[in-house]
Amino acid sequence: MMSTETENPPEDSTEDSTEVESPPPVAKKPAAPVVIPAFEKSISDKIVEKFGDKVEVGFVKEDRVRINVGRENVHDVAEFIRDGLNYDHVESVSGVDYPQDNEIEVVYHIGSYDDSSLARQILVLATRAQRETNPIPGNDATRLPTLRDVFYSVEFHEREVFEMFGVFFEGHPDNRRLLLPEDWADLPPLRKDFTIKGR
Amino acid sequence: MSVIAPKFKLSEFIKSLLDNIFWIILLLVLVGFPAVFMILFVIPLPVIDGELLTPFLALTWLADPTRILPVVQAFMTTDIFRVMAFPGFGFAALLAAGTIFVERKMLAKLQLRVGPFYCGKFEGILQLMGDGLKLISKEIIIPAKADKPIFWAAPVLFVAAAAAFVAFIPVAPGWVVADVDLGLLGVFAVIGFFPIITILSAWSANSKFPFIGGIRALFQMVSFEIPLILSLLGVVMLTGSLNLSEIAASQSVFPWIVFLPVGAIVFFITMLAELERIPFDLPEAESEIVAGWLTELSGMMYGLVQLGTYLKLYAFAGLFVVLFLGGWNGPMVVPPFPAELLTTGITIGPITAGPFPGLPLFTQEMLNGTLMFVLKTGGVIFFILLPRGVFPRIRVDMLLNLGWTKLIGLAFVNIFIALGLLYAGVLGPGGLQ
Amino acid sequence: MGGLTSTSKGLYNKGKIGMTFKLPPGLALQKVDERIMTLNVGPQHPGSGHMRLIVQIDGDYIVACDPDPGYVHRGEEKMAEYRNYILNIPHLERPVIHDSCNVLYPYVLGSEEILGIEVPERAKYVRVIASELNRCIYIMYWLAIYGIFLGHSTMFMWPAGDRELLIDLMEKMTGARVTHAHFVPGGVRNDLPPNFEDVCLRQVNYFEKRIKEYAAIFYDNPILIARTRDTGILSRQDAIRYGTTGSVLRASGVDYDLRVKEPYDVYEELDVHTNVMKEGDSYARSKIPWLDMLESCNIIRQALQKMPKSGSVRTKLKPNPKGKGLDSVYKRVESGRGSLGCYIVSDGKVEPYRVKLSVPSFRNLIALPNLLRGEKLGNMPSVYWSLNYWPVEADR
Repeated sequence: MMSTETENPPEDSTEDSTEVESPPPVAKKPAAPVVIPAFEKSISDKIVEKFGDKVEVGFVKEDRVRINVGRENVHDVAEFIRDGLNYDHVESVSGVDYPQDNEIEVVYHIGSYDDSSLARQILVLATRAQRETNPIPGNDATRLPTLRDVFYSVEFHEREVFEMFGVFFEGHPDNRRLLLPEDWADLPPLRKDFTIKGR
Repeated sequence: MSVIAPKFKLSEFIKSLLDNIFWIILLLVLVGFPAVFMILFVIPLPVIDGELLTPFLALTWLADPTRILPVVQAFMTTDIFRVMAFPGFGFAALLAAGTIFVERKMLAKLQLRVGPFYCGKFEGILQLMGDGLKLISKEIIIPAKADKPIFWAAPVLFVAAAAAFVAFIPVAPGWVVADVDLGLLGVFAVIGFFPIITILSAWSANSKFPFIGGIRALFQMVSFEIPLILSLLGVVMLTGSLNLSEIAASQSVFPWIVFLPVGAIVFFITMLAELERIPFDLPEAESEIVAGWLTELSGMMYGLVQLGTYLKLYAFAGLFVVLFLGGWNGPMVVPPFPAELLTTGITIGPITAGPFPGLPLFTQEMLNGTLMFVLKTGGVIFFILLPRGVFPRIRVDMLLNLGWTKLIGLAFVNIFIALGLLYAGVLGPGGLQ
Repeated sequence: MGGLTSTSKGLYNKGKIGMTFKLPPGLALQKVDERIMTLNVGPQHPGSGHMRLIVQIDGDYIVACDPDPGYVHRGEEKMAEYRNYILNIPHLERPVIHDSCNVLYPYVLGSEEILGIEVPERAKYVRVIASELNRCIYIMYWLAIYGIFLGHSTMFMWPAGDRELLIDLMEKMTGARVTHAHFVPGGVRNDLPPNFEDVCLRQVNYFEKRIKEYAAIFYDNPILIARTRDTGILSRQDAIRYGTTGSVLRASGVDYDLRVKEPYDVYEELDVHTNVMKEGDSYARSKIPWLDMLESCNIIRQALQKMPKSGSVRTKLKPNPKGKGLDSVYKRVESGRGSLGCYIVSDGKVEPYRVKLSVPSFRNLIALPNLLRGEKLGNMPSVYWSLNYWPVEADR
């Protein structure tokens, strides 16, 4: 399980820090002892076949396929996932802050209602944005292309990621605050450098 | 329960008692007695038993309580009694208070809960009094940008209009505040005031939710006034009178609801809408517009509007009874006045009280009429309250659709029924009545 | 956000942050048409819950609606990064205390996978029973508020009272009336009390009989039907496109229930029927949860029958359990409102590196502006609450 993981550990930032800028040429194969479910493998194979070395298969587990992709390709991959693989909605958009890599990961959990064969499946699409040590949300380099025109359902999720991590989604029609108060002028609170007092 | 007074000292308690007694006596002597005498001197005093009632005579009831009966009787013939107490405001307010109590308990029973329970010994009967005291003691908050004079005046106007409405309702033969020939027209005129008062209050609050609520109330009341008036025309045609006392008296054989059930149903529905009762409580729809036009009212201003609402409810129920259910007419159930009270008095064991020359205060017809009226009104009020436990609120467009198309149509059907009955000779001159 | 401050630079970069001073339309002075009136519905409004809807109306018609959640944002996800896997349990159920077992369920499933724990068979059945009871408790509360939103006070009082039956059951089972904190990684906190099965069966049977009576006063009420039929219609395509879930999705004709489609714990051994309606209007959305309650009663009866009569209900954990290294799981369950996902990232430490709750309320909220546009103001409460939206959950 752990061997299939390619998410960056906070401890060793040197190894994977170049992953997004230049994705590795070959998708990592899951480790041998884990039985790879065939159907899930076919999904990841289709994506790899289409995009080749632009994508990297994070893991293939039962009902879950993880695809890591660079930010310049995320929009194309998402369009292929919608049109080619019949996925139709995004369940969740999570930001994960990796200060050691100087990156913020944004993870889309994509599912399908219409295709009954995909009902169990969740496709995890992960991409990374550059992290600023001194962020100015909306006006700095922490940017990603929005998937709102591909999956309408990401609208509020991306707004949440923007205010919680400062990741500006280019092309999102409504990049406003959602949960935080209007006068919030502090760091985006789910970044790791925003610490809770006393903890 | 906590301790009543943590630092209790008997001497201070007695001192406070004495203080209170001192102040009561002082106020009584300086204010109370002069006030009583001023009143007795200033107001025109009645002539009783061929003798002008002087303050001295008036105060002799302290020695012989039966002597107050002629005074009370004389007072009961005055207009101020009729307006303030019996067929007017006091009677209506009492019935309104009873309505609120019944509403709470009945709704609670419908909804499998208890309702008011602790205030007062019996089933929370004093809850309303407690609520009233709470409302009186609350601070009145006026919105900063409100139009203050109108905003202050609106609740008072509302109660005044409701009380004016009450004044038209005949309770027993001869017992009505304003016995006017065009009584029903007067009722329509008074009903016409309510939307104006509502919109004045809502607009002067200068706030969004009251504004929407006021507009809704205006729409609702204005559009339902037309079927309201039309539904009552059938009764007017058959009776040939607009005087409410005459209309009530004309139903000594059978009530008009027997012949005009359509009109009664239309009037009942429009009545619910005019009263803003569920399912027509759109102007106060809390989940949409907080409390509608009552949102900015606080403290006793809100209490006044509530009082006016329930007075209005009583008046509408009374109007329904007078127009369709025969008013005070009904079987004579009140026993005749025992004549020996006048001559020999009443003997209970060793004590003999009386005789009471001033009795009876009310005639048998009046008591029976009042009883019948109150019973019928209570029944109508019960049916007004009932939908609250059963129906959700309807929407503005559904309400207007109902008022402008269905109810007006039905009201015309009712008029044609009345005309048909008249021309066929079933009712009216030469007919049954 | 009282307890939270940044490390060093509070109010830093003032004036440079683009989004900070861009106020939402309810606060900013906007040039709008004179016909348009902007209403701030909430957060202190009897028809909003703990959130704000900025509604622009033209006469009686809503031209735009901008939901503004966040009034009860508590930073549950941030808090979860500072507590270990066990300490996270009591606070993660706070977003929906009426549905506290279900809101905790995906977190517990996920942390079991991360910590590598097996769950005893009996515990799985206890979880299913607790989860279904909680679903009924939540839906009863939701239904009570739906009733009062429509001005139907009896429908407020009846569910609020009948809910007590199941709350008493949960109290017997877990010791707490609302916030149970009953599910732990490795099973449930403690075993069922003696004689629980009989009491549960009796109460659930009575409960089912009772909620069937609601049809007569509420769902068959002509005024209710006239008010909610054909209002706020969410088509099947839109329901899928917006990514709605739960009763909203199933009311639009999509047959999707995670208890059937991706059964967790012992749901594949139980016969679960999915309630689907085709209309997609407020009425269908309000009826589906009621049908779900009837279905839950069936599931509870089945689970009580198939449950092993004895056995362990919890795998003992070491103190401060850790993940085995880098790991991430995404688990989802069908809660009272719909599919509830939990994404846990572990870095092999005692605390999770990141916990993200993908809550159904937040996912359904996206449909609200689209449903309300063009509706009448009088339909706002019924459409809004038919989305099975729990404001506290959406804020987390």
